[in-house]
Amino acid sequence: MSTLVKPRTLFIGLTLLCGLAIWLSLALGPVSLPLWDTLRAALRLLGVPLDAQGLEQAELILGQIRLPRTLLGLAVGGVLALSGVAMQGLFRNPLADPGLVGVSSGAALGAAVAIVGATLLGGLPEVFGPYLLSLCAFLGGLGVTALVYRLGRRNGQTHVATMLLAGIALTALAGSAVGLFTYLADDATLRTLTFWNLGSLNGASYSRLWPLLLVSAGVALWLPRRAKALNALLLGESEAGHLGIDVERLKRELVFCTALGVGAAVAAAGMIGFVGLVVPHLVRLLAGPDHRVLLPASVLAGASLLLFADLVARLALAPAELPIGIVTAFIGAPFFLYLLLRGRA
Amino acid sequence: MRLSASAIALVVGLLVNHGALASELPQRWVSAGGALSEWVVALGGEPKLVGVDTTSQHPATLKALPSIGYQRQLSAEGVLSLRPHVLVGTEEMGPPAALAQMRNAGVQVELFSAQPDLQTLKSNLGHLGQLLGNEAQADAVFSEYEHALVRHEALVATMQATHKAPGVLLLVGNAGGKPLVAGRGTVADWVLRHAGGRNLATHTGYKPFSAESLAGLSPDVLVFADRALGGDAARAALFKENPILAATPAAKRGRVLELDPTLLVGGLGPRLPQSLQALSAVFYPDSTESAR
Repeated sequence: MSTLVKPRTLFIGLTLLCGLAIWLSLALGPVSLPLWDTLRAALRLLGVPLDAQGLEQAELILGQIRLPRTLLGLAVGGVLALSGVAMQGLFRNPLADPGLVGVSSGAALGAAVAIVGATLLGGLPEVFGPYLLSLCAFLGGLGVTALVYRLGRRNGQTHVATMLLAGIALTALAGSAVGLFTYLADDATLRTLTFWNLGSLNGASYSRLWPLLLVSAGVALWLPRRAKALNALLLGESEAGHLGIDVERLKRELVFCTALGVGAAVAAAGMIGFVGLVVPHLVRLLAGPDHRVLLPASVLAGASLLLFADLVARLALAPAELPIGIVTAFIGAPFFLYLLLRGRA
Repeated sequence: MRLSASAIALVVGLLVNHGALASELPQRWVSAGGALSEWVVALGGEPKLVGVDTTSQHPATLKALPSIGYQRQLSAEGVLSLRPHVLVGTEEMGPPAALAQMRNAGVQVELFSAQPDLQTLKSNLGHLGQLLGNEAQADAVFSEYEHALVRHEALVATMQATHKAPGVLLLVGNAGGKPLVAGRGTVADWVLRHAGGRNLATHTGYKPFSAESLAGLSPDVLVFADRALGGDAARAALFKENPILAATPAAKRGRVLELDPTLLVGGLGPRLPQSLQALSAVFYPDSTESAR
């Protein structure tokens, strides 16, 4: 595959695109704020001492609603795309997505336990109330992924093919458990579960944001350091080993980063499909398979895509809003089909 | 002397208080929750509504208002764009983070209970009346509602003295596929019992039933709460497709009726007494006429 764009051009373009997405995400919403007010409020939030006269509403909407939402979109989009690259590199398969190692289905199971189980159990300390769902989703994702990884190991070696099949089996198992919870749920919890599965950046608040920002920053700083190792892995596991790469360690890191990153993203925003699958493809189409470019470029592209999708989600039906999972899948699925069919023509 | 002084003080106090309240009453309303919105309209609050959620379908004029989406998935900024003074909703409204953001933006968020019982309704109506500034009307509306229910209860009691309560199943359908049967703890169950029926389903919540266990319960009356099953043609098609359902005593004697599914959402609504009458008329076909 020849590259269409030089890496430098790609990074400049993606940075501009991401900047545009951030600005639009801050400037547009169901409440129409004058551009001048938005600008001044943004400057005030950055610490520039401006006169606050008449800016209360703009500052509130910008600071309490749009900024946390934009940061959430950036982190979720970036970390999902990055995990997509990691999984496609690990399985050496362009159709791989973070769901393969069971992190999504595990998180869904955790969420189902929290949503349906909380009403069945009751009696939990109230402090956990607002965080129960996120916590359960995160732990569920981490737990199932750990199990998939364990099942893939034999004699101190991780067999990627076994892991793949174990992932499929555990995904099915988790799916049936979610089905059982769906059966036990009453009408109201059922709808909560359904909407959670479609994802949303709605109601982002700083207290939920920090853990995700920390995790995604960690993953986004760590994975690009392993770009060369991922490039070597493209040749095959034994070839990478001959090139001096500790393949077992690399695999462990990839799985761990994915579980951590996707787990945190899903915990904060629910299930958001197709970003992890499609964004790495998009970047590869433009700049080729070199992970030194692919990894950082995917972060920027994933973050931008999610912010644009969120703009559609919040503006299309304003004052109501669409779950973002609908928008990303609506964009992602046709693109995926195009990728599949392109080779045949 | 003392008496008249305190009376004057009381009157003056009331006047002043009332004046102060009237100027502070919320004028722009957003309502989430079907039954609650109906009550707002019933208490004369419709001109103040600037937005409703997707479950607020009655009266039909509400559909012309901007929709703020599903009550559990409200978008803070979307609601704020309607510049509401107050957001009323049931405890089902959310997510909590969005509600907190709206409160921070100065919107008065008022929560009501959706429990299907009269005591809850009484306090809900009182609360709504306060917010609308017409407590007297709220009181009157509640007593009328209570009377209608009490009268109906008496009617049902007299009918049950001479007739056996019919066994009923209420089916919430998904377009005639696998219907869900309403069990204990649902508003549907409350409705059936107050209309004088005996709910044959003993599970809790809404659960799918096989056609076989449906037939095994041999219901005397079937109630469909399904928009897709409205009309005789749709029902005939359903029975044709499900011979076992058609073999139930209810189907054989044509004791099948439909209920607006929006009645079953968000607690006791203003249209409930009429629906109870309609249901009882089918539950006790010969005695309702004489009792009237």
